[in-house]
Amino acid sequence: MNQPILTLSDLAFTYRDAPKPALDQIDYRHRRGEFTVIVGETGAGKSTLCRCLNGLIPSFTKGRLEGSLQVAGHRDSERPQVYELARIVGLVFQDFEAQLFSTNVELETAFALENFAVDRDRMKTRVDRALNRVGLSGFEQRDPASLSGGEKQRLAIASVLAGSPSVVVMDEPTTDLDPVGKRDIFTLAQVLRNEIEGIILVEHETEHVLSADRILLMHEGRIVQEGPPGEILADPRNVERHGVRPLQTTVLLSELGLETDALTIEDAAARIRSAGWRVKKSAQESLEGARRREPPCDPPGEPPHEPLDDSRQSVVHIKNLVFRYGEAPPAVDGVSLDIAAGEFVALVGQNGCGKTTLAKHLNGLHAPTEGEVRVLGKSITDWTLPELGRRVGYVFQNPDHQIFANTVRDEVAFGARNYGFSEEEVGEKVDAALAETGLSGRDLEDPFNLTRGERQQLAVASVLATDPGILVLDEPTTGLDYHGQVAILNLVRRLNESGRTVVMITHSMWVVAEYADRCIIMSGGRVVQDGDVRTCFSNPELLESLYLEAPEAVRLGYEFGLVARSVQEIAHCLERVEE
Amino acid sequence: MVLYIPSDSLLHRLHPSTKIVGLALLLILTVAFQSPWYQLVILAGVLLLARSAGAFRNLRRILPLMITVLVFSVVSWSLFRRIGDPFWSFGLFTLSTESIRFGFAMGFRLEAMLVSGMVFVSCTKVEEFAYGLRAIGLPFAVSFALSLAFRLVPLFFTRIGTVVQAQQARGLDLKSGNVLQRARKYVPLLVPIFVYAIRDTDLLSMALESKGFGMRGRRTEYLAFPFVWRDYAILGLLVILNIAGWLMPVP
Repeated sequence: MNQPILTLSDLAFTYRDAPKPALDQIDYRHRRGEFTVIVGETGAGKSTLCRCLNGLIPSFTKGRLEGSLQVAGHRDSERPQVYELARIVGLVFQDFEAQLFSTNVELETAFALENFAVDRDRMKTRVDRALNRVGLSGFEQRDPASLSGGEKQRLAIASVLAGSPSVVVMDEPTTDLDPVGKRDIFTLAQVLRNEIEGIILVEHETEHVLSADRILLMHEGRIVQEGPPGEILADPRNVERHGVRPLQTTVLLSELGLETDALTIEDAAARIRSAGWRVKKSAQESLEGARRREPPCDPPGEPPHEPLDDSRQSVVHIKNLVFRYGEAPPAVDGVSLDIAAGEFVALVGQNGCGKTTLAKHLNGLHAPTEGEVRVLGKSITDWTLPELGRRVGYVFQNPDHQIFANTVRDEVAFGARNYGFSEEEVGEKVDAALAETGLSGRDLEDPFNLTRGERQQLAVASVLATDPGILVLDEPTTGLDYHGQVAILNLVRRLNESGRTVVMITHSMWVVAEYADRCIIMSGGRVVQDGDVRTCFSNPELLESLYLEAPEAVRLGYEFGLVARSVQEIAHCLERVEE
Repeated sequence: MVLYIPSDSLLHRLHPSTKIVGLALLLILTVAFQSPWYQLVILAGVLLLARSAGAFRNLRRILPLMITVLVFSVVSWSLFRRIGDPFWSFGLFTLSTESIRFGFAMGFRLEAMLVSGMVFVSCTKVEEFAYGLRAIGLPFAVSFALSLAFRLVPLFFTRIGTVVQAQQARGLDLKSGNVLQRARKYVPLLVPIFVYAIRDTDLLSMALESKGFGMRGRRTEYLAFPFVWRDYAILGLLVILNIAGWLMPVP
């Protein structure tokens, strides 16, 4: 039990041509049976560390490796090859699209076994067992391309498990997944921890990994803290400083001035009650009436929020929209909705439920198969693509799908130039867009040298330069650490407050709760729930039935009988009763 | 492959090597004859094969291509090939019975080649193709690279589609302007596409290595195809047809 399976001593790695090390002074022992979670900001060295563990570094990615890595069961050699370590340490990547390559599930799973020269008659059993473990039995003949995101990632895990590694390392396996896909991966990790000798998981959402044995907090290439979740995660400020969203339980406890080491919702609620905190009278009513961005319960006599009445101009009007790709069943199947000027709408639902397809109608990338989409009073089939594209800015999920210019300035100017503004106007619009996105003064930098978060802001800036009144953002927070997420969300909020209508596709329910006004839930191409965000979260059973889960802060509110959108709202609704 | 049509036909059940060698033998056979009538017989034969493999669905997809190829080769060979006694001429163009015969022979030959190729991809999975190549004696890495290329093409097209949409959303208009202006407009597409291609291949290579790809020594195969009587029969038949075709006085 106590013998370490991986021993890293004073490990350091510097990528070729990099000025400073990506990993530095890494000391870590992974003992048999342990479940370890690595957290930290973008660029902290998490992926680099994962790649060292199975030898991809330094044999695939070159650079200078110092210190030592010992893997139990592997005879020591100076530079072990990846295929030697692969039998002991299995590595799963974040991007499940790029790691699958076979035409059916069974062959994908068998690939490692073929390489390890396992006999044919034993291969079948091991493939079956691996697929069974990840819950993909019965999918053997399916084309991986036809699986959902979560299923693809589980297949990627099965293809690694088939080789019977002692340790499975997963580098952000849930980042690109919808809530159901995420939950399945965490459930699987729980099952696996009892079946294999070790799991190492890189993860941003700490709420899901409270049962881990150990958390490693990384910062600038070093492990700055190591310990059980109760120790590392109990300090919300420290966690947040390192680019990780703190547990909302600890945030609330800390706001109330209590000890923050109760991590689960139940424990935290119990501690708050036992400290004498109670819900104020008619707290929920004042929450309902409160405006979004002002502190709700204080002062109590807040005027009620004006409902979205007919007096507000409708900028998007969709009626009985049906859209089909070729002869496939409709991706959008009879959607009708109106969006008023200045709204902040979150569009949520499982992968493949039709969110992106619906959104692409707003700027004319798709034209309705049936039904009608009117933007700013005019049917999208009557708009020319450039005229519509100028008014509806569409920010794609991944900024790297569009960045091409040599300088930040040229990148931002691209859209404005395409729409035929004079060079003088372009200059003004670019300046304004850079100022709004906080990129002023960085005009001449190379976009590829920006961080991922800054590139996302650049993508928003490049859309803003045509001065659109409506902004559509497709999962703008995916792949960003907490700081990056907050930066882009605050930017979107400011843009909304300055009068732009925002439609945001997202998988993060906390983003919906804290930032949006209205939540539209889609399932199977249809809108199944559409309304005020608070109303949406007041029905946990409905969310559950749609495989969505209220975020941590909202569930914490449930404990006090509140439908609150953030811990700040909860805190405002509580008062201390002197016994 | 993308065009694979699942079925349990005789052709589908052939050993992958039989499919590959059989395709090669069929292609060689089409070159053996000069007569349009013989070519028509071969074409009819491969169409029957296509029918038996259920490949008509794929043929329908390339129907415009097939018609173009036929019309183009009949017209151009008939007009430009200078053989026999021309019974009509106009500048560079001549027409003779022989050149018309030749035009039809070429047209049918190209059609037969197209259909054979289509039958092959309709009844062969990427992995079978790779397996077949290995069974013939190609090294694993080569056959794997070939089959991977087939696999990655559709993924790559999806990526291109996304990039095109992302730039269209920013007002990129690929349709207007002169040739030079239009060429310049491809820069905003090419840069992100290359970035993606490089990133994807890098990730895929890492995923492959992490599953033991590149290991030296013996390797086993999950798929197994028995080489049975029908394989001998088909290959035997094709060899005999080829011998007969090539030994016959040129018809």
